[in-house]
Amino acid sequence: MLLKDHNAPHIKARETNRTVMGDAIIALLPLYLMAYYFYGLRALALGGVSVVTCVVADLLCVLLRGEKPNPRDFSPIVTGMIIPLMLPANIDYAIVVIGGLFAILFVKQPFGGVGQNLFNPAAGAFALMAISWPEKVFLYPEPLTRLAAFGETATKLTEGPAHALKLGGVPVINALDMITGNFAGPMGATNILVLATCLIYLIFRRTVSWQTPVTFLATSALIAGLFPRVSTGALNSVVLELLSGTLMFGAVFLLTDPVTSPKRGLSKYIYGIVAAVVTMMFRRFGGYEQTVMFAVLLMNALAPVIDRLSESILRILRRVHLEPRKRRNARAPRRPQEKKAAQV
Amino acid sequence: MAGFFTRGIILEQRKEPALSRDLRKFFNVNTSKITIDRDAYPPVDQLTPQQIIAIAKEARVVDERDGIPLHQKLAMAHDTGVITVVGDASDDEPYISSQLNPLLKKSELAVEGLGLAQRAVGAQHVYFAVYKNITDIFTKIPRKIGGVEVRRVRGRYPAEYRITDEFAKVRPVLLIGAGALIHLARAVLKGKVQTTCFITVAGNCVANPTNLEVSLGMPVMQVLERCGLSAEPNIIVLGGSMTGKACTDPDRAAVTYNTGAVLAFYEDTKDRRYKCIGCGRCVDVCPENLTPFYINRCIEHGRLRDLPFYEIDRCIGCGTCSYICPANLDISANIKAVRSKLPRGKGGSRPDAAERP
Repeated sequence: MLLKDHNAPHIKARETNRTVMGDAIIALLPLYLMAYYFYGLRALALGGVSVVTCVVADLLCVLLRGEKPNPRDFSPIVTGMIIPLMLPANIDYAIVVIGGLFAILFVKQPFGGVGQNLFNPAAGAFALMAISWPEKVFLYPEPLTRLAAFGETATKLTEGPAHALKLGGVPVINALDMITGNFAGPMGATNILVLATCLIYLIFRRTVSWQTPVTFLATSALIAGLFPRVSTGALNSVVLELLSGTLMFGAVFLLTDPVTSPKRGLSKYIYGIVAAVVTMMFRRFGGYEQTVMFAVLLMNALAPVIDRLSESILRILRRVHLEPRKRRNARAPRRPQEKKAAQV
Repeated sequence: MAGFFTRGIILEQRKEPALSRDLRKFFNVNTSKITIDRDAYPPVDQLTPQQIIAIAKEARVVDERDGIPLHQKLAMAHDTGVITVVGDASDDEPYISSQLNPLLKKSELAVEGLGLAQRAVGAQHVYFAVYKNITDIFTKIPRKIGGVEVRRVRGRYPAEYRITDEFAKVRPVLLIGAGALIHLARAVLKGKVQTTCFITVAGNCVANPTNLEVSLGMPVMQVLERCGLSAEPNIIVLGGSMTGKACTDPDRAAVTYNTGAVLAFYEDTKDRRYKCIGCGRCVDVCPENLTPFYINRCIEHGRLRDLPFYEIDRCIGCGTCSYICPANLDISANIKAVRSKLPRGKGGSRPDAAERP
């Protein structure tokens, strides 16, 4: 009988990294289905190109570091699937490839690969693409136009509603279209109904914790209601700010990235609130119309600090609440009294 | 409702069929002649507390909860004064029922032992404590056993260390394991020295999972052969499935006072090489509200000076962080290893109760 030395505990939860990343992939698939419905085959082709780029780049880096590649590591697939969903459906393949390469080669792997990166790779890639090709990244095709998978995609391009908001106008979109994503915008970030379903699925699978996205969305709505950018009232402002642009997408898939978000429950609340404030400030005073990714990058840098802060707060709370209780417990029998027992 | 908000993990208990089966005996030596001089003491109802403690000492009764000799616990509690004595039968780890099963099958002796312990320490209340979240059992745990109220400890997995919270109104509390109470009753009533202990034999390789009363010092392999192995195990555990120690030499390892269980598992040992992705589940489940993620990272990077900041000394070693980790990291074992190196006062661990003199 060959027995192995095994550390306790000897039973394990069934969930592994594979199921955690697999949940994210499952949540991303319906977004691709909707993108296929709106823009045709090109949406799927963009996703495929991006995923292949990220997986190959990740594999190369792992081999360069001299490690054995792990086929159960799905994280580059998730990164590759997220990147095109933030872009218009008629974007050049070259831009997506460069974005994917940047995400893996510059944002993820130099820090030590999976689980070690400081910044969200997909958000970093979007920042690069938005800064380098703003005229391509922020002009969207109308939905329900079939785009050819390859070759020329000559189609009428329009600005998204976020652009109108940025300029101080009021975008006029039917409420139903707004919820189902039937307006010009990023390929996967406009389907609010699908995104909300994904969020609920991920929360119930415990792949993401509810604290960050819920506080983020609530604070964003609060700020939008208190300081509206549009002239048609607070409620309209809340609806437009939350539903136009990539705010919802960022809340579901970027802000909740397990690697770069804080770990403590308390810091998740702080993270969501501060991220919302930063996002809305960028929207008002920044230069770009899609600001969630920049806010996510900034917040990623702050995440360890927030964790350290909430750990300190927790230490103080423990001192206040638990010390008297500890003293009471100290009366429980702990140190045997040999003398007394010997006298008996 | 206190248990609803506690942190921790919900485990499949898997106590059946061992819990409902009869308690069986398995001795390798005849120990019926090993008795104390019972006639030196007065009859049961005239015993003074000191005499009960002396009998417990002479009969060498050891509490299976923590491995401390029972007479030391009783003498200590008698001196400091406790209000409540609790017979602890809270097997909160999966597969184990070596306290609960003797309590149900030998309830008269357990109640008698609890009464004797109450007289020895001069307590006012007596209770039994069992774990509430056991759902898959065939036998019902009664509300009262022999007139003694059975309290249910609510909450998720590491429940055993929260028993005193359940009795917050009647503190201070003395906790004694149900097995030790039975042995105390036997010593006082019949003058028997403790030569046996109660263990659960279970696991996915054991053909007949059951609770056994075995002689102390019985080799582990004989215990497993008594219950039959349905498959070749690759892990044999002495103690609970969450906190027990792996045993690599079952022919020479022996059953001792605080073994509690012998579990034989076959697990797919395919090496799953994952890296920590920082999902933070260990932080969500830690019952002491620690941050195992950062503690483990500090240990990996060798920054031992940061460990007191994360209050590593509060770790109770329950193993929930290792259980939940999707990357299969040995967080709990890492913490245990590093705590034995740290100096006391800076997060170092106390020596195990069993190793104390």
